[in-house]
Amino acid sequence: MEPETFLDHEMVFLLKGQQASPFVLRARRSMDKTGTPWHLRYLGQPEMGDKNRHALVRNCVDIATSENLTDFLVEMGFRMDHEFVAKGHVFRKGIMKIVVYKIFRILIPGNTDSIEPLSLSYLVELSVVAPAGQDIVSDDMRNFAEQLKPLVHLEKIDPKRLM
Amino acid sequence: MLCLQVKDQSSINTRYAKCSYKPLFCFCALGLVKFQPSLWPWDSVRNNLRSALTEMCVLYDVLSIVKDKKFMTLDPVVQDPLPPKQNPQTLQLISKKKSLAGAAQILLKGAERLSKSVAENQENKRQRDFNSELLRLRQHWKLRKVGDKILGDLSYRSAGSLFPHHGTFEVIKNTDIDLDKKIPEDYCPLDVQIPSDLEGSAYIKVSIQKQAPDIGDLGTVNLFKRPLPKSKPGAPHWQTKLEAAQNVLLCKEIFAQLSREAVQIKSQIPHIVVKNQIISQPFPGLQLSISLCHSSNDKKSQKAASEKQSPEDHLYVLEHNLHQLIREFHKQTLSSTMMPHPASAPFGHKRMRMAGPQAFDKNDISSLQPNEGLLEKIIKQAKHIFLRRRTARTIDSLASRIEDPQIQAHWSNINDVYESSVKVLITSQGYEQICKSIQLQLNIGVEQIRIVHRDGRVITLSHQEQELQDFLLSQMSQHQVHAVQQLAKVMGWHVLSFSNHVGLGPVESIGNASAITLASPSGDYAISVRNGPESGSKVMVQFPRCQCKDLPKSDVLQDSKWNHLRGPFKEVQWNKMEGRNFVYKMELLMAALTPC
Repeated sequence: MEPETFLDHEMVFLLKGQQASPFVLRARRSMDKTGTPWHLRYLGQPEMGDKNRHALVRNCVDIATSENLTDFLVEMGFRMDHEFVAKGHVFRKGIMKIVVYKIFRILIPGNTDSIEPLSLSYLVELSVVAPAGQDIVSDDMRNFAEQLKPLVHLEKIDPKRLM
Repeated sequence: MLCLQVKDQSSINTRYAKCSYKPLFCFCALGLVKFQPSLWPWDSVRNNLRSALTEMCVLYDVLSIVKDKKFMTLDPVVQDPLPPKQNPQTLQLISKKKSLAGAAQILLKGAERLSKSVAENQENKRQRDFNSELLRLRQHWKLRKVGDKILGDLSYRSAGSLFPHHGTFEVIKNTDIDLDKKIPEDYCPLDVQIPSDLEGSAYIKVSIQKQAPDIGDLGTVNLFKRPLPKSKPGAPHWQTKLEAAQNVLLCKEIFAQLSREAVQIKSQIPHIVVKNQIISQPFPGLQLSISLCHSSNDKKSQKAASEKQSPEDHLYVLEHNLHQLIREFHKQTLSSTMMPHPASAPFGHKRMRMAGPQAFDKNDISSLQPNEGLLEKIIKQAKHIFLRRRTARTIDSLASRIEDPQIQAHWSNINDVYESSVKVLITSQGYEQICKSIQLQLNIGVEQIRIVHRDGRVITLSHQEQELQDFLLSQMSQHQVHAVQQLAKVMGWHVLSFSNHVGLGPVESIGNASAITLASPSGDYAISVRNGPESGSKVMVQFPRCQCKDLPKSDVLQDSKWNHLRGPFKEVQWNKMEGRNFVYKMELLMAALTPC
């Protein structure tokens, strides 16, 4: 499959309840390919695992939705936390998805035309959606990441440490 | 200054001789680092002089003692006389031997070095050949290095195959050959090791048989001898080896896919999968068998194969189509999944993702599913091929059996896998131009034959052979009457009545009889023709009343004008008529009844 470019607009919605941590949903739409459904994604807490697991694991729920998703979420009580534009390339190897993209800051909220790159660097992300408990796929991911060295150092990062 | 140094040096050296120290160390001990004794220019001269002096002193002492003869006398020692002649020869021999041995040693050493370098060269060359072969291999096949092994991939996985066979082959360096032996012509420094289950040659055999064989016969389809494909000139032998193995793999995949579908698909007559054979019944009394023939290179199977040679009832078209279908299937798996947009979305069919937001119903979703498998498609194709063959045979047998009227079949060259068409013309010899009434277009499908008549009528026949045969027979019978009608126009006769389907007379088992009545241009005579597909043709002629001599005189019709009334019909003894076919006979009859 040929690698393709993409231009996506992502909005992150929060629902604050009684719990300490808010409920986060990510709504994403393609800006360059019309007619594609919106993508609503719930991501669970990242699990670092031990050293034997070479990748970060988190639960996810993927839903394809129609374009009035934002209205629906706002009606439900969600509040938009932040939004950004991602622009880059998507590659595929088997069930692995490799995305190389830049994140753009949106200068005027809601207007995706006026954007400014957050950084000059690209972000490389390797991900696999697999059934729960299939840790073997992380070996494949590690093998693939090895091949990108020394150009790209793909590593397991603990997002808690970055916060 | 120099003089002083010499003195110093001598004293040092005497000391050195006593202490047996190394001169440099002595220097260090004395602190005279300025100069080294070995570099002193007159050192050797002085030493020689000194030793000469010592020798002279000793000689002088010895001579003086010998001269005094007090303590020592000189007495000649008797020496063994050496053999006078042998001696120089032996010496020569020994010296020659020694020198020769020396020379030989040098030569041997050189030879050894030479042979070593030659071997090294060859080794290098072979290594280079191996590398260049590896490079060529790399251009055609996927290779990767695992540990100290080079593994290749001959599976179709990268082309979209989902067959679980790993299809790995190993690249072997074939450089350890005996240098003494002659190198065979087809020697190649690179060899490949393919999995044992992919060795040999294989192919898929598809055939249609009339009656079911005994159950005992099932699954024992043997490979008949098929010569192994000879390697193309210039192509390395690993290429043919790998291609053959890949073909075996593909055949196995096709068969595995077919047998999986055969088990899954629920059909009225279940498909049977036995060993290396799949049997299905496309039409009653007919069986389609698809078998995987795989011969390994061992002699046993070859012998068994040659013993039981099956007749060549291959359906090569279907075998080819199976290969094509599996490749289409591969392509589908590759192209069905698109790159996701937005990029975070999962891989998958785009329309599948639209199903939720657009609230697809069950029909929409089921239309997204791949509807037909390999087996269903191939059975459909087999059905079509069989129906086409049988149609051709039916038409041909009718054409050869029935001389009048004639049947012409024009098959179209370009067909679909599920549909082909033939144009059938029914004509009479010599009258092709005037009677073109029956032109049929037969569209042969998978289960049925659609017949489009010239006037636009569409008739659908089932796959039964009899239906088509009956239809064609009835059409041929109609043709005769149509031809008479056309002929009448040319001859100037009048058509009094015409019917394709006569309701009178004996009932035909196939279709209906058709009839026509004609009147001569003068109106004196009339011909009535009845033609049935089964009963054949019956031609009757009506004469004017006046010509009927045997007609009893009627009391009612006295006047002569009544003589112009038509008389009774008389049947023509058609088989005694001259003429090569029906229409020609008809023409002769009309001509005979038309007064000049």
